[in-house]
Amino acid sequence: MTSSGPAVFYDGATNERHAVTVTLEAAGLRIADAAQRTLAEWRYDHLESVSAPDDVLRIGLLHDPGTARLDVRDPELMTAIDIKAEGIDRTGGLARRQRATVTGWIIAATVLLLLVAWFGIPSIAGRLTSLVPAGLERRLGDAVEMQTRTVLDTAGAGENFECGRGPREQAGRAAFDKLVRRLEANAGLASPVRAFVVRRAEANAIALPGGTVFVFEGLINQARTPDELAGVIAHELGHVAHRDGTRSVLQGAGLSFLFGMVLGDFVGGGAVVIAARTVLQSSYTREVETAADAYSVDLMNSIGADGSALAAILTRIGGATEPGMKILMDHPDTRQRATTIRARAEAPHGAPLIDAADWAALKRICEQ
Amino acid sequence: MTSLDASMDAPASVPSRLPSSVPVTARRPIRFTGQPRSYWRLLIRGAALLMVTLGIYRFWLATDVRRFLWSHTEIAGDNLEYSGTAVELLIGFLCALVIMVPIYLAFFLAALDIGLIGALSGGLGVALLFVLGQYSIYLVRRYRLSRTLYRGLRFHQDGNAVVYAIGASLWWAATALTLGLTLPWMQAWRERYKMRHTYYGTVPGRFTGAGWRLFLRGLPLWLIVFVPFAIGFSALTEAYDPETIRLVLRKASDDDIIARIEQLDPGLIDTIGLAIAALSMAVILAGLVYPLFQSIQLRWWLSGLRIGEMTARSHLRTACVYAAYLRFVAYILLCAIALMLAAVPLLMVFGWLLQGDDVALWREAAAALIGLGTYVVSMLALSTIYHATVTFSLWRLATESLALDRFDTLERVTAAGGRPSSAIGEGLADALQVGGL
Repeated sequence: MTSSGPAVFYDGATNERHAVTVTLEAAGLRIADAAQRTLAEWRYDHLESVSAPDDVLRIGLLHDPGTARLDVRDPELMTAIDIKAEGIDRTGGLARRQRATVTGWIIAATVLLLLVAWFGIPSIAGRLTSLVPAGLERRLGDAVEMQTRTVLDTAGAGENFECGRGPREQAGRAAFDKLVRRLEANAGLASPVRAFVVRRAEANAIALPGGTVFVFEGLINQARTPDELAGVIAHELGHVAHRDGTRSVLQGAGLSFLFGMVLGDFVGGGAVVIAARTVLQSSYTREVETAADAYSVDLMNSIGADGSALAAILTRIGGATEPGMKILMDHPDTRQRATTIRARAEAPHGAPLIDAADWAALKRICEQ
Repeated sequence: MTSLDASMDAPASVPSRLPSSVPVTARRPIRFTGQPRSYWRLLIRGAALLMVTLGIYRFWLATDVRRFLWSHTEIAGDNLEYSGTAVELLIGFLCALVIMVPIYLAFFLAALDIGLIGALSGGLGVALLFVLGQYSIYLVRRYRLSRTLYRGLRFHQDGNAVVYAIGASLWWAATALTLGLTLPWMQAWRERYKMRHTYYGTVPGRFTGAGWRLFLRGLPLWLIVFVPFAIGFSALTEAYDPETIRLVLRKASDDDIIARIEQLDPGLIDTIGLAIAALSMAVILAGLVYPLFQSIQLRWWLSGLRIGEMTARSHLRTACVYAAYLRFVAYILLCAIALMLAAVPLLMVFGWLLQGDDVALWREAAAALIGLGTYVVSMLALSTIYHATVTFSLWRLATESLALDRFDTLERVTAAGGRPSSAIGEGLADALQVGGL
């Protein structure tokens, strides 16, 4: 067994190259220059092998901010040091074990973050939503409304994007307001609702944070009775009552933070971030839609209207559109929704929500 | 491929290319001893772990890559050492999150304000994040230098990151306004500032590259790209008519847009065609001259580096840079063919999963995972190939093409710089996605 050999030593104070002889002693290495002066004595348990090419064993001191280095190129001396010092392993086994441990921890952290995305974010967003003051929610709503209008108003109609402003539309507007007020009076919402009909061909309606509801022209055209339209509006009022818009903004922010920043967009292009957001957010909202359906039926029941009309219009609209992927759909399966709604609805009683003349005017709300 | 492989296996031929009139002692050759095969292995393993850990592994991969490149760079018989660790990068990143979250939150709240602040917050936010990006770039360099050891001595960087960030941002703005014409002076300013504050032990660095030299060499390339770009752009401005666009897009649905344009303005299609042809020409030419530009800039940069009395001169050959990019393109093509072959069975599984009217949620989830997985694998393959070909070759070419004069003046340097700097700049750069290697 070799007990000494040549090496190159840098003391960390200057960059001078010391050609040294390394002697393996009982407790550590003795590093001495050509004149037999001892330059350093390093204990075996303080040695650490640092990054170097394969044919060099470069040794530094563990937990030492200094930068003294010993470069060993002599294979026999390398082996001898390897045997003596626990922190040095030329076979790479030590490094592999450390690497495996670290990888295990990182994978565990990844699983934990995914669990946070699946369970943590909806629950945190839900709790934060109730803490958002009404004034801030209103502002959030205004900002979202401005953006939504820009996105939806593709034809650039501006002011005219809303139906019910023209001279021939005003009767329709009055009828629409009457219907909304009738629902709102029984809804017991914290803040007033602002509802508009907008010129969009799709049969849809959306609720924004802070109580703004957009009903699309296409929905008015598809609705056959006032109760069908009222059912959809009541569904949107359910979102307003449950503050789903605010919650969804918070969830989106949480997901963006988690996938965009913590995990990092590791493949670039943003596609993974967007995909993860879409899938997770639609999984959150499926439950929210079921709750809004229930709210709508309860509200319709309480004013003696036909709660099951919502099921009728949903089936008609849902049947018209192509079935998409469930994983991306933010609404639950239409058939299942309709069954749940019909089971909850009571038989209608009392006067209709608006009379036939008002309904006829409402149907013409977008006919400039 | 044979000639490319030959050039990879012949690092020893570089010193012999130096003019023989210069004594060998005055010029110390730099060698790069890293094997492409080991680098590939490191990157592929890293890409697999990136995928499994959704990117968290990036701190470990970056550290491995730097250790590899540094430790295989041998200057006058001694290897550089990268002494940073992945845990430092991770901690730096977590600290950066603590800084970034309040900033993003402030922007979010400012955007809610409909008034002037709200209107300004968008543009202001972008500008602020840009300056912050430049700030973190300076700190990143400080971290990497203070983790670079040569002969048992650290490099370090002082100077004011805020000054650098503001200066660099102003230069970027000027460069954007002049369509890149002031880029050489910007580079000169940035390198001068960085090198003036760079030290090896107690020895300060300098940068002597002049902006106008880079400008003169780069100007022909700029013209090659700019002329077709200008033609295309002016054709587009000529064709731009908000009224026509509004009419065309008014009922943007299934009917034929081209037919509608033809009907509104018969000459418009030709103008748009010319614009598209000229602009695609500009893009293709830009891609073709990019390696040349990179080689010019690299040579200019390397030849301007000074540490104490030591001077550097680069003999980088442009053909080698083109070879690196050609290798990149060749591997991309191979990889695309492999992916297409793999796509056949994948599509069959995909179809089987989604067949029928009422597909179970788990089948959809599996199909979505296949789709997303394919995308992730292709993107990771792209970046792996880029690093294994372009980054690797440029590092090798840059180091091996370098001749160092008066290297002997760096023989007795004393340590300085105190403790190594924190990795928070690395974290910020990561959060802002301006980091790089």
